[in-house]
Amino acid sequence: MSFMQPSPVKYACSCGILNPINKLFFCRHCPKLRCGFCVTHEIESHFCSNCLENIPSTEARHKKNCCANCFDCPCCQHTLSARASTVPVVRKTEEAKDTKDGGDSKGDATPPVPASSKPSAVPTTKKMYYLSCLSCRWTTRDVGIPDQGVATGTWPDNECLYQARFNALVEYFQAVVLQEKQEKMEFMRRKAPKQHKFPSLTDRTGLTVSLIRRQIGWNDKVPKAKAVITPAEATADVEGLPANIFTEPLNLRNVTTITQRHSQPADQPTAVGSLYPQRRSLWIKRSLRCRQCEHNLIKPEYHPTSIKYRIQLFASYHVPEVVMVRCEQPLLPGKSNAILLKLTNPTMYDMTIRLLTAAPPEDPQLSTEANRVMKDEPISSSPLLKAVGITLSRQNSTREVKREVVDLSNAEIVPLESEFVLSQRDDSKEFDEYVQLPTEEPKFIVWRKGHKVLLRLQFTPAEELPASTDVVLGFYMQYTYVNTVTNASEKKEPTTHALHSRVFITAGAIEPKAN
Amino acid sequence: MPMYESVMQEKPPIVLDIGTAYTKLGFAAEAYPRKIMPTEVVMTATGTRKRLFDYSNPEELYDQLVDFLQTIFFKHLLVSPKERKFVLVENVFGPTVLRETLARVLFVHFDVSSVLFVPVHLIALSTLAVPTALVVDIGYSETSIMPVFSGVQIMAAFKDQSYGGRAIHAEIKRQLVESGVKESLLTESVLEDIKVRTCFVTTMERAQARSSGGQDQPTPAPAVDYIVSDNDAIIQVPGLLRETVYEIMFEPSNERDSLPHLILRSILDCTLDVRRALVESVFLVGGGSMVQGLLARLRQELQHLLAEDPFYAERFHGELQFKFFNAIGKQNFTAWLGGALCGATDLIQTRSLVKETYLKSEHVPDWSNLCDNRPTGS
Repeated sequence: MSFMQPSPVKYACSCGILNPINKLFFCRHCPKLRCGFCVTHEIESHFCSNCLENIPSTEARHKKNCCANCFDCPCCQHTLSARASTVPVVRKTEEAKDTKDGGDSKGDATPPVPASSKPSAVPTTKKMYYLSCLSCRWTTRDVGIPDQGVATGTWPDNECLYQARFNALVEYFQAVVLQEKQEKMEFMRRKAPKQHKFPSLTDRTGLTVSLIRRQIGWNDKVPKAKAVITPAEATADVEGLPANIFTEPLNLRNVTTITQRHSQPADQPTAVGSLYPQRRSLWIKRSLRCRQCEHNLIKPEYHPTSIKYRIQLFASYHVPEVVMVRCEQPLLPGKSNAILLKLTNPTMYDMTIRLLTAAPPEDPQLSTEANRVMKDEPISSSPLLKAVGITLSRQNSTREVKREVVDLSNAEIVPLESEFVLSQRDDSKEFDEYVQLPTEEPKFIVWRKGHKVLLRLQFTPAEELPASTDVVLGFYMQYTYVNTVTNASEKKEPTTHALHSRVFITAGAIEPKAN
Repeated sequence: MPMYESVMQEKPPIVLDIGTAYTKLGFAAEAYPRKIMPTEVVMTATGTRKRLFDYSNPEELYDQLVDFLQTIFFKHLLVSPKERKFVLVENVFGPTVLRETLARVLFVHFDVSSVLFVPVHLIALSTLAVPTALVVDIGYSETSIMPVFSGVQIMAAFKDQSYGGRAIHAEIKRQLVESGVKESLLTESVLEDIKVRTCFVTTMERAQARSSGGQDQPTPAPAVDYIVSDNDAIIQVPGLLRETVYEIMFEPSNERDSLPHLILRSILDCTLDVRRALVESVFLVGGGSMVQGLLARLRQELQHLLAEDPFYAERFHGELQFKFFNAIGKQNFTAWLGGALCGATDLIQTRSLVKETYLKSEHVPDWSNLCDNRPTGS
């Protein structure tokens, strides 16, 4: 297996993009290969990656996709952790001093108050919390945020300075646009009066309205609430350079970097002293849905701590996996060669596999089934709706253009002379004593064990390939797939399809010519 | 106001400002973007980062945009783009292929319900609630100037030049390499960090003394030792560099295309009646305008040119004083903020390009396209 490096074996997805098998999904209902590009992504749940708390989507929206309890370091974007410090609090017997004491402990929270020398005082301790970054040693004390009595929930947010002005602007523009809309509607009403039996000119001019208003005794004109806002004013005295910029040496430790500024988009501080702990943004769990049939391909379990799935249609559970083992000889242009491939059947049913050089004809069963499904669709809707021509089935929403598979292959393969059977996966067999049964095997099969087979595929790299270009083999792998789910409910027994997928193998680079 | 209450009750529109260097993203009616992130995609095969707008064919751009937007939706905004409304801040003179591809990605791949394209200069102005200003956008790849009068962009007076963040980075690199720093140390992020943390725009007097090359040169600002933590190396950033990298915006040349000249020429391209209004309302936006001392220097230079340069002296009359607006928030997301304001209003319902319209013709209406811009009735 190729670990931590790009896989040499790529499958062509039904949308035409090449992917290794571990990045592909398999829609059992279509049944076709799908990849991350040709499925719709949906948000399943929000959670905080630090405290692993599940946050409902409305609350997440309300909190601006931030966790209420966890903070990020404004300096290095690492997670901040709350640290407790014990602060001695002097409890005095006199009632009068109690209030002063309360004020004291608040004010002197940052440096620990030295234990009182008074013998009458009873020294007790109180836990105060501050946030600290374990990565860069930044603490909330550095920027003068007072310690808090509880670890979470009470940390103040930094307010946006111009929020009031912004709200005024929003209100102003909403009013302006609304007013414009009303004027336009009024205009349209006058321009196209209602068809009436008798022609009337009064409504066109809007005179009727003002006449009625006058009769009631109101103002003649409709009072229009004109939106007002004080516009910004331009000024000629602009801020110059600080005088000491030409003489004072610059201490870079006090100037924030661009990442630090951008992590605090509202105020973007230039001085390190105005950095502020940032609320940690949430993460999501995603579910994937097939674009054609709208069935879920991936649906994770709801709980953030779980890494399991409720629905998981990864391609490696359904499609035979091809692994490149080795080439028999060094790769030379125009020289026939053979490659050893290991095929694995991941399903519970035997598979019949053929390797072909041209696309096999479409499975007739599949196409008829698709037609049948189309015909069946209106059954779900009532006859009334059917008559109107509305179906309840959701409209196929996305029209992503299908791409042609780019044919990368630059070697000619010799197709296998016959098909072969890849037996089912059986985990219990793994532990059995392996007995070689005297069976008649096709020539190209090197060995066979359980649901795995090693086969030898002959090929010839193209003549004109220059040295150190990659040789790519391309072939169609046709396999039988037993589908246990069916679109029709009345048919219970699994159906067998002959599916095929296009596989490209990067066999390696052409050897430099030995001369 | 029942009409816009119903607008706000549904999911808030997503506002995107995809810049060459940084992308600002967030929701409408919020006072600041959720995130400002580099406009980069990570290549899955190699794990290297690549700028979104480096592409060889539209197909590649399409795939990169899908990747990039996927990250935005599922890593940062955490909302499904399906059936959402969008506000996109766009450059008026941006490439058509970009606009079309972006629309195709959003409508076809992500199945969004509507997209509202807003021009950057005009929408940046909306954060001030004034109808008239000369909007100067200093971005990464270019600096562009668009006069806006009574909410109408004067296209004929649009000006742009290539001195933006990229040119500044190149200048820092040139000066540092000249002073003997290894070129391999000077990655794009190091250059950016040096620019942001150490450089500033010097005063006009000092710049003039330097360019005249007299005996008494002003002593440069103190040098800074910059630590490249990835390579355990220290770069000495000379004080002269800190002061002079931004001079490429003010360099006097025969082309007369430095920033002050560009502003004055843009004003001269407008009709006589609007010139005074524009002079008295200059608005600088974009991340490049956040550098220390830029406004003061620009004002000095502009006043100086008005008084001293014969070309401008005979065209501008009366007591003119350049006035500048202060942005709310930071300038690097002013355009985004304008988009957020616009997305909060009913305009998102009335002016957007909706999915059904797009899918009929697979085409985004554009002001420069005669098909969409014909006078009605012909």
